[in-house]
Amino acid sequence: MAVQEAKRANRLKSGKLVNKLVNEYWEDLINAKKTGKKVVYTTGLPIGPFMAAQDMAWIHGEGYGARVAARHEEKEPQTFAENKGFNRELCSYARTQMGCAMFAELGVPDDLNPGPIATEIPAPDAIVTCYPGCSTGPQWDWAIERVFGKKIPWFNVVIPYHMGRNGSTYMKGEEFEENVKYVVRQFEDLIKFLEVVSGKPYNWDKFQELMGVTKKVGKLRMEAMELCKAKPAPASFFDWSIQIAPVNYLTAWPGTVEAMQAVKDEVQERLDNGVSAVPNEKYRIFWEGIMNWNKLGWMADKFASYDATVVAGRYTHMAFWHEPDTIDPEHPLRGIAINHLECQLNLGYPITEERMMTLSKDYSIDGIVFHGARTCRSFSRSHFLLAENLNKKMGIQSTSFEGDMVDDSFYKEELVNTRIEALIESLEAQKSRG
Amino acid sequence: MTSKSDRSSFYTMGVDSGSLTGKAVIIDGNRQIVSHSVKQLGFVSQKAVMMAIDDALEKAGLALEDITYTVSTGYGRKRLEIAGKNLTEISCHAKGANYLYPEVKTVIDIGGQDSKVIAVDPSGNVKNFAMNDKCAAGTGQFLEVLARALDVELTEIGALSLQSDADIKISSMCTTFAESEVISLVAEGHTTVDILSGMHKAISGRMKGLVGRVGMQQPVMMTGGGAKNIGLVKALEKTLGVSIFIPDEPQIIGALGAALFANDFATGIRKKVEEEQDLDKSRVPAKDCASCSVQNFQLNKN
Ligand code: SF4
Repeated sequence: MAVQEAKRANRLKSGKLVNKLVNEYWEDLINAKKTGKKVVYTTGLPIGPFMAAQDMAWIHGEGYGARVAARHEEKEPQTFAENKGFNRELCSYARTQMGCAMFAELGVPDDLNPGPIATEIPAPDAIVTCYPGCSTGPQWDWAIERVFGKKIPWFNVVIPYHMGRNGSTYMKGEEFEENVKYVVRQFEDLIKFLEVVSGKPYNWDKFQELMGVTKKVGKLRMEAMELCKAKPAPASFFDWSIQIAPVNYLTAWPGTVEAMQAVKDEVQERLDNGVSAVPNEKYRIFWEGIMNWNKLGWMADKFASYDATVVAGRYTHMAFWHEPDTIDPEHPLRGIAINHLECQLNLGYPITEERMMTLSKDYSIDGIVFHGARTCRSFSRSHFLLAENLNKKMGIQSTSFEGDMVDDSFYKEELVNTRIEALIESLEAQKSRG
Repeated sequence: MTSKSDRSSFYTMGVDSGSLTGKAVIIDGNRQIVSHSVKQLGFVSQKAVMMAIDDALEKAGLALEDITYTVSTGYGRKRLEIAGKNLTEISCHAKGANYLYPEVKTVIDIGGQDSKVIAVDPSGNVKNFAMNDKCAAGTGQFLEVLARALDVELTEIGALSLQSDADIKISSMCTTFAESEVISLVAEGHTTVDILSGMHKAISGRMKGLVGRVGMQQPVMMTGGGAKNIGLVKALEKTLGVSIFIPDEPQIIGALGAALFANDFATGIRKKVEEEQDLDKSRVPAKDCASCSVQNFQLNKN
């Protein structure tokens, strides 16, 4: 039977290298205006290199929300946003960033006491939205514009949903090719837009160089994750969640290649020395859903206590430069479009199911945990269908629980415990049946 | 209290610390139920749990030290210090249901905090399970809140709802929204019995989706407090198109399963102790030997 002992997840040590890069990035961002840099607000996909090539700073809304939450400063901006009428059921990333933006623009009310990160956000000179599979992103940026009460130059890249029409499958078919062309055309326009905002011709050489870095980091990450197909897995989904920054808002940031190389080396070294992510791996789990940032350590240890490794996830393994080979640094727009179009949030149901089945097979998955993020409906769609079909087609059992990305008021800890423990007990019963 | 325990007979206990009730079941070494108790107090009340334990012990004529092993289940399972192990209600309901009705293949439990459908194998193990997705949607809490809004005792809603032949739909399963929906139905002049019947239909519709996820296999048993609500049982039978077996004491099935697990663990421990005792008997004292410091050695009988 599943007995929970206090075991701890053996997290990657090299993960700490990322902290240094994250700090550098925030330092640069906070001082952007002082150094004469324009600040662009972005939401959705990692498009930092577009701005970095023009020597502009960028704030990624979700990355900012996650950072504020990781520093446990999220409550005050969330409360402020709610007091200003942004409902609690709205995307918690959006609420967090909106609250921070309002602190910056409207001042901090006397009854709130926000932390330093939550009040340091510089005002935007432009907004670029690049959201797949969710209508909240564009509306969030619209609301940001209203907060600052002036017309802010705004470019919205529309990422069309890859439905899988007329036999179009993952990275194949007419629908896919048409979508790629459509997004490439928009990227060409985005570059013209950034030339106007920055007031100088686009620096293609720098952009190509940055996309070369992006490709390298993307490849290193995918190779490192693939080493975890081994049993027991040397690293877990929680390590890969921590490693999201270098392929998300830190894309192509100086030092990301070295940081990811160090991660891959550590994973390889663990593999060579038989060191595993959880002390005694008995079960291999797939995490379906977005990450819950303020519960990351708790979750990692919880699964370790049950001798279960969360080896892969839709959030980490199906996005963030997950198809690095498609990037040609000389002609980068097509590769960027492919990575963004074929990401976890933008795939129609049949393609999503096929990708999850492939990953489940590759990573020898025993069970799936569905995290239904309360304020991210996009990520929770098709959970029931996936649970049903993966059980029917592959005999994989699953459990689901409700949580959130950065609003921990949606957790009922004991409900989460029961659901995870029930899955582990059920997997144990399955193993004893043979 | 005199101890009834001896080396040939032992007792184990299962304790279900549920969200609204405390339940305890004691079984003997032959896995026969000796006593059981259900106590209701506040939310995950330790007091209710302790009262249920004391009551079950008293009915059995036992003292706590007569219990060889205890397993706890339910939301407060981790807080029970006397338990050797704790297990989720999913495993315990499957085990308890299988004990009472070995052919059972599907177990439905509508509990205070969540509702679940469990596919059970012939040995009483969980084959698959599904639980309600978000918040209190489709749980006992949903019924409790709405019963309060209608000013009806929870224990009465089942029988009352059977008096209705109207077809009222409650579309929202979010407890908060459903409460306002109920209030507006009252304002529109619908009767309490009709609204209650609509509530049961709404939960049944929700449960149909969960049953679909694990695959409907008969016979079906309903366990937990929800099974005492005749209106809900009838609505479920109609929606699922099956007849549902209701045990005499549906609320104790989780505690019963826990007691059975406790029996498994205790049997395993006793077997180990007996083996060690057998091994002890096989120790042969060594003859004194002046030149050797070894005082005895072990000889395996076989
Ligand atoms: S709701 Fe989800 S997908 Fe949409 S903006 Fe928020 S986090 Fe992103």
